[in-house]
Amino acid sequence: MTTLAPTMGSFQMASVAKDNTPARTSKMADAASAVDQDSDESLLIAVGNHQDTAAFNLLFGRFASRIYAMGVKLTRNEQLANDLVQEAMLTVWQKAPLYDLDRGSAQSWIFTLTRNRCFDILRKMKRQPSTVSADDIWPPEGELDSQFVHEEQGSLEAEVEKIERYYDQLPAAQRAVVEQIYIYDRTHEEAAAALNIPLGTLKSRLRLGMGKLRQLLGTEE
Amino acid sequence: MNAEVKFHPAEELLIGFANGTLSAGMNVVISAHIEQCAICREKTSRLEAQATVDWLKSTESVAADKDDSLSVPNFSHMVADITSQPQLREQALEDDSVSEIHMLDHSVKLPKVLAKVASKGLVWKKLAGGINQASVTLDDQTQCEFLYMKPGSQVPVHKHQGTEVTLVLDGSFSDEMGKYEKSDFVVRDKSHTHQPVSEEGCLCFAVLDSPLMFTSGLARLLNPFLRYRFNRATSMG
Repeated sequence: MTTLAPTMGSFQMASVAKDNTPARTSKMADAASAVDQDSDESLLIAVGNHQDTAAFNLLFGRFASRIYAMGVKLTRNEQLANDLVQEAMLTVWQKAPLYDLDRGSAQSWIFTLTRNRCFDILRKMKRQPSTVSADDIWPPEGELDSQFVHEEQGSLEAEVEKIERYYDQLPAAQRAVVEQIYIYDRTHEEAAAALNIPLGTLKSRLRLGMGKLRQLLGTEE
Repeated sequence: MNAEVKFHPAEELLIGFANGTLSAGMNVVISAHIEQCAICREKTSRLEAQATVDWLKSTESVAADKDDSLSVPNFSHMVADITSQPQLREQALEDDSVSEIHMLDHSVKLPKVLAKVASKGLVWKKLAGGINQASVTLDDQTQCEFLYMKPGSQVPVHKHQGTEVTLVLDGSFSDEMGKYEKSDFVVRDKSHTHQPVSEEGCLCFAVLDSPLMFTSGLARLLNPFLRYRFNRATSMG
């Protein structure tokens, strides 16, 4: 089992590892070669990009019994734990195309989706109202982006000068995205095209970058 | 900016949230706070990473098939069925239909999870002291409600027998211990006797939780809650 990749540090590899094309710069090539082909992340990306059933089989072998153990612990019911393995691994298969390294380690990704399926299974079993599901409570990564951009735009324009002082503290990839959106006033789609990165990657970087800026500004005020 | 949020969930609650061990009602109110609070959002990501590490560590022997206390069935028959299913290429679009509550002179945009909670319609009831209440049922362990305090209203002095979380959605209210504004996450339990007042008016979402929520794992850290009975003792008037 590989150790957890640090979320913030891993994003540079994302587009390279994901589209599996030759790296565009030598720096990215170094990062790409650091990705272990047998890591959970590589397997998950292979499942997402190529419907790689062999990779899925490996992931299944690594995680099914752990998911079962988590299910037994949370539900205290072996049948429900069995259902959880089925549903969680099905979700891994279905959502693998939405995973990229910006979303953190594959283990965390699988952990959170297992937790979410478990919540829904327990609610169904207890016949609780279906008003809210796990995906309402723990929104998928990036879903909050558009709202923040919308809300923050006005105040940010006034504070660009201040924010610029914090630019240097942002990792280059996040800075580039924030710059595209807030300085050049591009849409998400335009910025993703300009930077030659997937839209999801752009949104995650924007979220991370804005979170960091917000944090920096918040501590100053 | 979210710099003005002063009151946040305790780390123990966020640990429960990250691990999925809390009741639906408590999860909902934490989720609504997190949507508006970058600090807690970041904390939660960190706690989720920690929860993952704990999970991997605690299931190491199970994964290596060396845990005799748990007999793990053979799941391999599931694989073929799963991989015959189609994959998702895009995140499902959100349904933004109901997301506002209309007040006397303005509307309040609700956090997404509460918009979902309110999407089946709210029935408002008038209580004493200029308070309006709309209850929603999320599970059998919590009492959840939207509360609207008119400007100048005052809740009669009361005590809680459970633990009550109040999230401010709009306006503000005060009690003996402070003033609470938008996105503040206020926790009150048996030890507090309080008398909230609102000068400017206030919309809140409140969750009264029972001890049943804390069943296993890390959530046991919250066991002091077990002393409290799940019974609201609001002595009105």
